[in-house]
Amino acid sequence: MEAGSLLLQLLVNGLINGSHYALLGIGFGFIFAPTKITHFAYGPVYAIGAYATWAAATMLALPLALAIPLGIVVCALAGVASYLFLYRAFVERGSTPLVILIASLGLFIVLENLIGIVFGTDTKVVPDAPSNVILLGPIVFTSLQAAQVVCLGLVSAALYAFLAFTRYGKAVMAMTDNLEMARIVGIDTARVSLVAFAIGSAISAVPAILILLKEGATPHMGFTAVFMGFVAMIIGGIGSLRGAVLGGLALGIIENAGMWKIPTEWQSVIAFVALFLVLVFKPTGLFGTKARR
Amino acid sequence: MNRRQFWIGGLALAAALSAATGQAADPKVYKIGAILAMSGQASLYGTTMSQGLKLAIDEINAKGGVNGIPLEAVIEDHKGGGGQEGVNAMNRLLTIHGTKIVMTSFTAPTLAIAPIADQQKVFLMNGGGVSPKLVGSSKYIFHNRSLSSDLANGALLYAKELGLKKMAQIHWKNEAGDSVVNAAAPIWKKLGGEIAATEAVPQGATNMDTQIAKVRAANPDFIALWMFNPEVGLAIKRIREFGMKQPLIGIEYTPNDAKIAGNTSEGFLYINDYFQPSEDHPWSKQFADGYKKKYGVDPDFYAANYYEGVYIIAELLKRARARGGDYANGEVMKAVLIENPKFDSVYGGQMVFQPNGVAFKRVALFKVEDGKGKFQKFLDLK
Repeated sequence: MEAGSLLLQLLVNGLINGSHYALLGIGFGFIFAPTKITHFAYGPVYAIGAYATWAAATMLALPLALAIPLGIVVCALAGVASYLFLYRAFVERGSTPLVILIASLGLFIVLENLIGIVFGTDTKVVPDAPSNVILLGPIVFTSLQAAQVVCLGLVSAALYAFLAFTRYGKAVMAMTDNLEMARIVGIDTARVSLVAFAIGSAISAVPAILILLKEGATPHMGFTAVFMGFVAMIIGGIGSLRGAVLGGLALGIIENAGMWKIPTEWQSVIAFVALFLVLVFKPTGLFGTKARR
Repeated sequence: MNRRQFWIGGLALAAALSAATGQAADPKVYKIGAILAMSGQASLYGTTMSQGLKLAIDEINAKGGVNGIPLEAVIEDHKGGGGQEGVNAMNRLLTIHGTKIVMTSFTAPTLAIAPIADQQKVFLMNGGGVSPKLVGSSKYIFHNRSLSSDLANGALLYAKELGLKKMAQIHWKNEAGDSVVNAAAPIWKKLGGEIAATEAVPQGATNMDTQIAKVRAANPDFIALWMFNPEVGLAIKRIREFGMKQPLIGIEYTPNDAKIAGNTSEGFLYINDYFQPSEDHPWSKQFADGYKKKYGVDPDFYAANYYEGVYIIAELLKRARARGGDYANGEVMKAVLIENPKFDSVYGGQMVFQPNGVAFKRVALFKVEDGKGKFQKFLDLK
C-alpha cells in the first residue's frame, strides 16, 4: 500500500470516527447548553440505549427495525428519568454546578455498575448484524461505518429543523443564550430541560446502537463516549450545533490522520492535546459564543 | 501450693507443652483474600476469576473444609489494574480480615502489593497476571498462569515453522502488552524474522482502525496480536473486515472474543495454557460441568486458574498445618510448596512449580474452527 493510500484510508477512518464523536458531542451539547448541567451520566445512559436494543433484538427476538426505535425510546426515557429524579432537585434548590457535577459522577458509577449487575460484564453482540465490507479502490469501510456518517447527516438536519422551526427548539436556543433571561420571560425551563434531556439522550442512542452492531456493547462503553462527546462539544463551541459537528469531525480526523507518521501509542494523547490547544487559544471553542450565565 | 496455684501452674505447663510440640494455631475459618478486577473496563476478568474461586470454595466446604475448617473468600477490587487500588485492597485484607493468603491478578496491582507481601509474609497466588516482571517480585509469590513472554515465544516458534518472515504486531499499550512486545521482538529477530510494524492500542479500545490501516500498509506475512480479551476478538474482526487474509497469531482467545469476532475468527491461531475439559481428565470435566450448572456459561481458563488456585492453597494449608504453630502465612506455605512442588491440575494431570515460582503447565497451539479453539499440538517451551 502506498503512503498516499494509507493517508486516504486514515482520513476516511477519521471521518467515520469523527461522525461518531460528532453525534456524541451533539447529544451531550444539546443537554449541556440549555440546562448548564454537566451530565457525565450521559455515558451510561448512552450504554442503556445499546443494551435496550440488544435486549429487544436478542431476548425479545424483535427485528432490528423495531429493536432500534425501542432502544432510542428507552434511552430517551433514561435521560428524562435522570433529570426528574436527580438533577431537578438540585436545580430547584439552586445547587452550584460543582455539586450537580459530583451528583452526575455518582449517577455515572451507579448506572454503569447496575448495567453490569443486570446484564453481566461480557460483551453483548447482536448476531448476524447487517454489515457489508465496501471497497473503493484502496479504501475499505463497512456499511455500518457508512451508516455512522449518514446518521450524523440525518440527525444534524433533524436537529437544525427542530431548533429553527419549533417552539421548544426556540426555547432551547433561548436557554442556551441566557438561562436567567429565559426564566424571566416566562419560559418553563424545567419542561424545556426535560425535552433537552429526552432529545439529547435519544441522539446518544444512535451512535450507541451503531457501536453495538459493529463491536458489541459492554457496561463500560459509556466512559469513552461521554469523554469524547464532551471534548467534541468543547472544541466545537458550547451551544453550537455546527460546532459540535465540526468539533467531532475534527477530533476524529486529527486522531486518525495524525497517526500517519506518528507511532500509534500516542493516539490516546491526541484528544487531550486538541482540548488543551482549544482551551488555551480559543476558550469558547471553534464556533462558540462568549459564555453568559 | 494451694488448689488454685495448682490449677494455674497446670494450665501454664499445658500451654508451654503445647507450644513446644508445635500445636497448630487453627483459625475458625481460613480466609482467602482475592484482589481482582471486579469493576472497571476489565471487570469481565474479575467476574470469571471470582466465579472459579467461589466454586472451588463451595466444593471444598461441602466436603467439610480443610482440616475441618471452612474456607471463606474475601474479594477486593483493584478496578482493572490500578497499583494504588491494589495496595488499598491488600491493606484492607490485612487489617480488616487478617488474612495472609491472597490470590492476585493483573500485573500492575500485583507488582504494587508484592513489597507488602514480603513485609507481612503474605502468600500470593497469581492466576492472571502475565508479565515476566512478576517473577520474583515477592519472596512469597507463585503463578499458576504461564507468562506472556513464554506464550509469545511459542507463537513465534510456530510462525517460524510456518516459514513466515515479516511480522506486524498489534499490542495493548500497558504493562501486559508492552512486556510481550519487549520479549517478542528479540526472539523474532533471533529467529531471523523481520518486524514490519508495531502498533499500540489502549486497553479497552473500541476502535483500532488506525492501527489496522497501518499494519495493512506494512503488508506483513502474519500479524501477532499481543493483547487480551476483549480486544482480541475486535482486532480479528476488524483485520478481516479490512480484507487482510494473513495468518493471525495470538496468546489468548476467550468465549467473549469468539462472540465479538463471530465467523471472522475462523483460522485464528493462538498459544495458550491447555485447558480443554474432556472425559480423559475427569476433574476438568467435573469443574466445567459444575461451573456451567452454577453460572450458566462455560468456564474459560481464567476461571480454571482461580478454581485450581484455591485447591492448591487448600493442599498447602493441609501440609502447613502439620508443621504446627502459626502456619497460615507466606513463610510456611512457601516452605511446604517448595518441599513438594507437584499439584493436581484442573487442566489434567499434574503441574510442577519451577524454582522461579511459575507452574509448568501444558501449553498448546490452538486453531479456531467453528468458533472454538481446536487443539493442534503441545508446545515445548522449556
